Amino acid sequence: MAYAQPLKLTLLVPLEDEMKNTSQSVIKVEQLSKTYGKGENAVKAIKECSFEIFKGETVALLGPSGSGKTTLITMIGCITEPTHGKLTLDGELIYDQKWRISDTRQLRREKIGFIFQSHNLIPFLNVEENITLVPLMNQTNHLIARKKAKELLDYLGVGDKLSAKPSQLSGGQSQRVAIARSLANNPKIILADEPTAALDGERALSVMHLLKKLASEQNVAIVVVTHDERMIPLFDRILRVNDGIVSEETKQTP
Amino acid sequence: MINLAQRDITHSLGKFLTTAAGVGMLLGVVLIMIGVYRGLVDDANILLKDTRADLWIVQKDTLGPFAESSRIHEDVKNQIKAFNGVKDVSAVTFQSLQLYRNNQAIRVFAMGYDVGSFYTPHLLIEGRPLIAEHFEIIVDKKTGFKLHETIFIGRDIFTVVGITKDAVSSSGDLMVYFSLPDAQKLQFLSSNEQIRNDRARGNKDTSTTTANAIIATLYKGVNGSQLAHEIEQWKHVKVFTQEEQSTILTKNLIERSSKQIGMFTVILLLVASVIISLIIYTMTMGKIKEIAILKLIGASNAVIVKMIVQQSVLLGVLAFLAANLFSHTLVDLFPKRTILISSDALMLLVIVTIVSVLGSLFGVRSALKIDPASAIGG
Ligand SMILES: Nc1ncnc2c1ncn2[C@@H]1O[C@H](COP(=O)(O)OP(=O)(O)O)[C@@H](O)[C@H]1O
Ligand SMILES: [Mg+2]
Repeated sequence: MAYAQPLKLTLLVPLEDEMKNTSQSVIKVEQLSKTYGKGENAVKAIKECSFEIFKGETVALLGPSGSGKTTLITMIGCITEPTHGKLTLDGELIYDQKWRISDTRQLRREKIGFIFQSHNLIPFLNVEENITLVPLMNQTNHLIARKKAKELLDYLGVGDKLSAKPSQLSGGQSQRVAIARSLANNPKIILADEPTAALDGERALSVMHLLKKLASEQNVAIVVVTHDERMIPLFDRILRVNDGIVSEETKQTP
Repeated sequence: MINLAQRDITHSLGKFLTTAAGVGMLLGVVLIMIGVYRGLVDDANILLKDTRADLWIVQKDTLGPFAESSRIHEDVKNQIKAFNGVKDVSAVTFQSLQLYRNNQAIRVFAMGYDVGSFYTPHLLIEGRPLIAEHFEIIVDKKTGFKLHETIFIGRDIFTVVGITKDAVSSSGDLMVYFSLPDAQKLQFLSSNEQIRNDRARGNKDTSTTTANAIIATLYKGVNGSQLAHEIEQWKHVKVFTQEEQSTILTKNLIERSSKQIGMFTVILLLVASVIISLIIYTMTMGKIKEIAILKLIGASNAVIVKMIVQQSVLLGVLAFLAANLFSHTLVDLFPKRTILISSDALMLLVIVTIVSVLGSLFGVRSALKIDPASAIGG
C-alpha cells in the first residue's frame, strides 16, 4: 500500500458564503431532481438535491447500488436531462427547468472529461486516436493533440501502447487510456463513475492517487462515484446518496 | 480530423469487403438481367435488319409472318418486280424446325430465300452463301454444327456450307437458312407421314409454290410507303415498309416478353435496393455502442452522420465495381444474347448511390436517437 500515506487534509465543510469569496464554483446544483418514467411507473432517482463543487476539489459520491449516483453524475455531465431544478457549470447556466444551452455535446467535449466503469474506448481507433479524437473535434492542432496524448500516456505508464487497439490492452491499461482520454481536452470537470471497479486494489488506489494529483496540479474538479471505502481518505469531500437524497458527510481528520 | 469511417472499415476490413462482394453479386445479377432485356430487344430485330429489305409483301389482311400466319403465292414476286421502282425481290419462308445433332434436338428457326436474289445472310462469318438450289444449309455457330457437316432433315441430307454468328429469330431461336425450294418442301410437305395423311384426306393442295412473304428492295429515292400503297391497290396483298414491319414486330412480339423481363428487372432492382438499405442500416445499428460513446465524449451529429454516410457510399461504390466484374465474368455463359452497356451500368451506379444514401439516412435517423447514456455501465 505504497500510496496509502496519510493525506494532510483540513476539515472541508465550508460555508457557502465563505467559499464564494475564496474559491471558484465549477459545479452548482440547485434543487435538481430526476424522475424516470411517468405515472405509476415513475421512479424518483434524485430528489431535489443541492450542492456546490469548487475548482481543484475531489469529491466522492458514495451510496448503495440504485441510490441514484449514476443519475446524478450523468445530469452533471449533461448526458441525462434533469426533470427539475438548476445546474450551473463553470459559471454558465446549463439547465433551469429546461436546457439553457443549445449544444450539450459541445459543452461536454470542451469542459468535461468522463471516466466510466467500463473503459468505453472506441474499438476501431488505436490508443492515440482514442485520445486525440476529442481535442481534434475541438479544432486543436493535431501535432499538439498528439504530443499531449503521448505525454498523458507516458504519465499514466502506458506510453508504449500508442498504436495499440483497445482489444490488445488489459483491463488496467484500458482504464488508464480512458483516463488519458478524459484529460486530453484539458477539462474543468472530471466525472468518474466507479472508475476503479474493473481494477485490482493496488491499481485502483494508484488510479485514485493519480486523479487526486491531477486535481491539485491542474485545478480540475473531480467527482468520483465509488464503493471502495479505502478510497475515502483521498477525497476532499464526501457526498452520500441515499434513495435519491444527497447529503454532505463531515470528513474526519485522519 | 480522424476519418472514422475509414478507421472502422480497416478495423474489420474482411467483413466489409465480404459484404461489398455479396451486394456486388446481387447488383451483378441486376446488370445481367438488364443485359438479358437489352439482348432480347436487340435480338428481336436481328432477322428483320438482316434482310435489308425495303418492302414486305404479305398475305392480305394479315400483319405478316412475324405476327401471324401469312401465305402468299410465290409468283407474286414477279408481279412485284414489274413495279416501277422495285430493284429486286425474293420470296421468303419462315418456320420453326427441330434439328438433331448427336441425338440432341436443337430448336432452330429456318428461313428460305431465293438463291441469287439480293438477299443473303449478312451475318455469315465462315464458308459461303447458298449457291446450289438444293441440299445446302447455312447454320448459326451456336447450333454446334461445323462447316461441311451433313444434317439429315426431313427426307434429305443437307451439307453445311456457311456459318453465321449471332443470327437469331425474333424469339431468340438460332437461325438456319435454306434455299427457297428446300424450305418450301420442308414447310409445305414435311414428312412421309404427313404426305400420306394429306393423300388419305384427298388434300392435294401441297403446292411448293407458296411462300410466307415477298421481300423487295427499291431503287434509291423511291418513296416506300407510296409504292406500298400502289401495290396494295393493284394486288390482293398487304404491303409494309421495313419500319412498319419492325414496329409490328416490337408491338406484337417482343412487347410482352420484354415487358415480362423488364418487370422482373425492375422488381430485382427494388429487392436489391431494399437489401442494400437493410445491410447499410444493420451496419449502422451494429455500431450503436460506438455511436453512443462518440456522443458521450461530445462528437457532434455531423461527425456521426459523416461516418455513416461515407461508409454507406463506399460500400455502394465497391459493390458496384464488384457487380461489373461479376456480370462481365458471367455474361458469356448465357445462351442468349446478353448486352452489357456502360450507360446501364452508370444508371445502376446512380441508383445504388441514391439507395446507399437513403439506406444510411435510416441508419442516421436511428443513430441520432441513440442515448449517449446507453454507453455507460455494463
Ligand atoms: N434509464 C432509466 N430508466 C428508468 N429508471 C432508471 C434509469 N436509470 C436509472 N433508473 C433507476 O433510477 C434509480 C437510480 O439508478 P442509478 O442512478 O443507476 O443508481 P446507482 O448508480 O446509484 O446504482 C434506480 O432505481 C434505477 O432503477
Ligand atoms: Mg451506477
